[in-house]
Amino acid sequence: MLRYIAHRILVMIPTLLAISFVIFVVVKLPPGDFLSNRIEELRAAGEPADIEEVNRLRKEFRLDLPFHEQYVWFLWDLVRDEVRSMEYERPVSEIIGDRLWLSVIVSFATVIFTYMVAFPIGVYSATNQYSWGDHGLTFLGFLGLATPNFLLALVLVYFANVWFGIEIGGLMDERYIGKPWSWGKFMSILEHLWIPVIVIGTSGTAGMIRRLRANLLDELQKQYVVTGRAKGLPPFRLLMKYPLRMSLNPFISDIGELLPHIISGAVIVSVVLNLPTTGKMLYEALLSLDMNLAGSFLMTLSLLTVLGMLVSDLALAWLDPRIRLEGKAVK
Amino acid sequence: MITRRETLVSLAALAAASGPLRAWAQPAEPAKLPALIETPMFEAEVKAGKLPPIAKRIPQAPLVVKFAGDGAPGTHGGDLRILMSKDRDSRFVGAYGYARLVCWTPQSELVPDIAEAVDVDEADKTFTLRLRKGHRWSDGKAFTAEDFRFFWEDMAGDKTLGRFFMSSNLLVDGERPKVEFPDAQTVRYAWTKPNPGFLPWLASPANLTIFRPAHYYKKFHEKYASKERLEKLNDKRKDGWARKIAGEDRMARNNQNPEMPTLDPWVPKTEGVAERFEFLRNPFYHRIDANGRQLPYADRVVMVLAESKIIPVKTGAGEVDLQARSIRFDDFPFLRRSADERGFNVRLWKTANGAQLALYPNLNCDDPVWKKLLRDAQFRRALSLAIYRDEINKIMYVGLAEPGQNTVLSGSPLYKPEFRQAYAEFDLVRANRLLDQVGLTKRGTDNQRLLPDGRDLELIVEYPAEGTEYIDVMRLIGDTWAKAGIKMYAKAYQRVVLRRRVISGQTMMSVWGGIDYALIRPGLSPHEFAPTDEVQAQWPRWGQYYQSRGKTGEKPDDRAAEELLKLHKAWAAADSREARRGIWEKMLAIWADSVFTIGVVGGVLQPVVVDKRLRNVPKEGVYAYDPGAYFGIYKPDTFWFDRAAAVQRKHG
Repeated sequence: MLRYIAHRILVMIPTLLAISFVIFVVVKLPPGDFLSNRIEELRAAGEPADIEEVNRLRKEFRLDLPFHEQYVWFLWDLVRDEVRSMEYERPVSEIIGDRLWLSVIVSFATVIFTYMVAFPIGVYSATNQYSWGDHGLTFLGFLGLATPNFLLALVLVYFANVWFGIEIGGLMDERYIGKPWSWGKFMSILEHLWIPVIVIGTSGTAGMIRRLRANLLDELQKQYVVTGRAKGLPPFRLLMKYPLRMSLNPFISDIGELLPHIISGAVIVSVVLNLPTTGKMLYEALLSLDMNLAGSFLMTLSLLTVLGMLVSDLALAWLDPRIRLEGKAVK
Repeated sequence: MITRRETLVSLAALAAASGPLRAWAQPAEPAKLPALIETPMFEAEVKAGKLPPIAKRIPQAPLVVKFAGDGAPGTHGGDLRILMSKDRDSRFVGAYGYARLVCWTPQSELVPDIAEAVDVDEADKTFTLRLRKGHRWSDGKAFTAEDFRFFWEDMAGDKTLGRFFMSSNLLVDGERPKVEFPDAQTVRYAWTKPNPGFLPWLASPANLTIFRPAHYYKKFHEKYASKERLEKLNDKRKDGWARKIAGEDRMARNNQNPEMPTLDPWVPKTEGVAERFEFLRNPFYHRIDANGRQLPYADRVVMVLAESKIIPVKTGAGEVDLQARSIRFDDFPFLRRSADERGFNVRLWKTANGAQLALYPNLNCDDPVWKKLLRDAQFRRALSLAIYRDEINKIMYVGLAEPGQNTVLSGSPLYKPEFRQAYAEFDLVRANRLLDQVGLTKRGTDNQRLLPDGRDLELIVEYPAEGTEYIDVMRLIGDTWAKAGIKMYAKAYQRVVLRRRVISGQTMMSVWGGIDYALIRPGLSPHEFAPTDEVQAQWPRWGQYYQSRGKTGEKPDDRAAEELLKLHKAWAAADSREARRGIWEKMLAIWADSVFTIGVVGGVLQPVVVDKRLRNVPKEGVYAYDPGAYFGIYKPDTFWFDRAAAVQRKHG
């Protein structure tokens, strides 16, 4: 087991290196660079760009160097943890700060919401297959899956403003922004939280309902269920004890995807809803071609994905004794 | 008090030709100061002895603001809420505050502001600025000539720091000024050649120009800082201290440096990166009103960030007190509808650009046949005549814009109707006749014209891929051009890409906004009308040639363009107001005749949302960056909240 983990961790290094190269190339792919972008943006607003400032920035962020040298510098900065955002001219870690916590709150609330809604519905749909309830809930689920998130977000925001007087977008009342945490701030966040949670949660909920239903249906056909039923186990106990546990595996393997989602989840929604989360920042960094900020964001995401995969593999093995983990080198 | 000679007048409106200017705000004699009223927000601090009383906080001769039109003195209090879309946009709070050594007035006069008086010699070579005695930085330290000396000698003039701070505005043909500091309240800049751009630069929206808080920066400067601090700052690097100063200064220019004292009406309280920025009134601000209240009226400016596409919606929900940024004319109907319910007014201000959009034939186009054609003024005139501008105005801008060429707007003393209307009427007969004269007589399929070398005449017009405005207008133009036998295709590119294509000559014709500031005064530089910048999409390589002093680009080889360049040079060297005015008139006439750019409509209106309780915001105004500083020239420090007004505020 230890050997397996060590092997997996070693494999991560070349994986991340490869990812870093792809990220660097892709972020750099749009024509122009951060500076030409900023100059055009200023010109579009009729404000002249300060040439001296631009030249200084070009030097400072090494935009005058050839591609491969820029890449090496990017890696070196990453390793030293000295990446500075071009847009903000500050270390990336300083910029992300509070946003990370807000992102975690939103994502965590969304996950809980998803589980709480999807689980009972999925179980009900599977055990009452092709009933009216199943059809109705399935229909609702597909509706959730099919509605574009940003549209739902706009509609909810509009009605929340008209009916409840909640501000357009944002995650808290304006007066709490940038203030230290307090009870009032926390309550204000709760007041605003439901819109993003519902919006981000709906499609996830719908997907989960479908998967749980399908998995559970598979298991329900199996002989051990029939045997249990024949032996007179009460139906609810039978369901909880055997087939439901069997159908949980996919959720565990989802953990791997969950980690990066906490940081980058629902970028478009957070832009539409004006959420002060990391997703919006990533989006803006990509738009302004802020290679350093976007690159370190994406690298963090990749690291979390790779780690998440490992964790979910280990959790699966622990949960399901039928799964065996072996490092290839052991063979 | 103000000694002004010929040239300072030349920068101002024509109306002021006789005698000294009637400034809208003039320094009052110390004896005549109104009885001062303590600001409620500071009462407790003054009582506790933490802050000197108001009489000690303002300069001996403060600037007493006189209100024009229906403006009137108000009372203190309230938060001015605004929305911006980017972290860096906090710099506009400094522009809105618009405390400058000299300021533009809405009448386009230059008047002293932070400076008590400005003395300029006749040829715009020597500038003497006199400061206000007793003027203090927001931390209470004296503001004197030392702050100018420090910037000039120890920042711009420093070996290491110079590269960050020596501005091109301080150089005339590469020559540095001779700077003198005769006494603590006087500074003098002198060049051997005229520098007509100096005062307009000081009055520009750019935060911080030729002075810095010396007492603050000395803590970090190699020459003044203590040894321990320097070692800590440098930390193995030799220029660590310089980087520290450059970083502090960048933050200050973005209004994000709460540590650094300022002269602005509102002092930044929030360091970036943030979602909400707070600015608190400056207790040592130099302007007061006629009732003896120190400005600004509003206690705070609160700037909240929101995605620019959400800003109109948030504005419509009444979440701001003063908003124009990120709002466009298309948003007007929506805003108007929710205005009464949410308690705000929507005003329509003028914009100052020469054209909302204009076509730029690329005279440096690669294709030799097209290049020859586009350089033919007759061809450009024909294209212009074949545009039905009134129809575009009615369809796209509900008839509220000004159809016409991309040039000086009505409202400028240099305006002549024939400049804007040159080849701007819709006349297909004349357009067709001109095209025939150019030699495009052969016709192909669909009766479309052929190029001299037999190819189909297919004009590809490229535009920035943003919104639908460009393409909607291009369709309308394409319809009427087809009637002149010209087939047009419109193609969208991302701005950065389009700019590159234009400069490299791949583009035949492009669409952009027009001249940035078309309410032209003879004292403003005519650089936008001559090939001086590669941004100019009609002659990018000629502009590049000028910018790089002949290293890259191409030498202009069009008679009219060369003439414009010559006149541009003559303007900078001219030593009288009359001469500059004469040069401007010549340039505008050449510009109108040569149709280097084909303007479509100009003067598109800018909605300005104003909370119903906010007073002193003019009903009509011009929304422009420079000169203008957006709201700056209308003095937002004099905007105040009328608490007696019926509407209740939602948040404190």
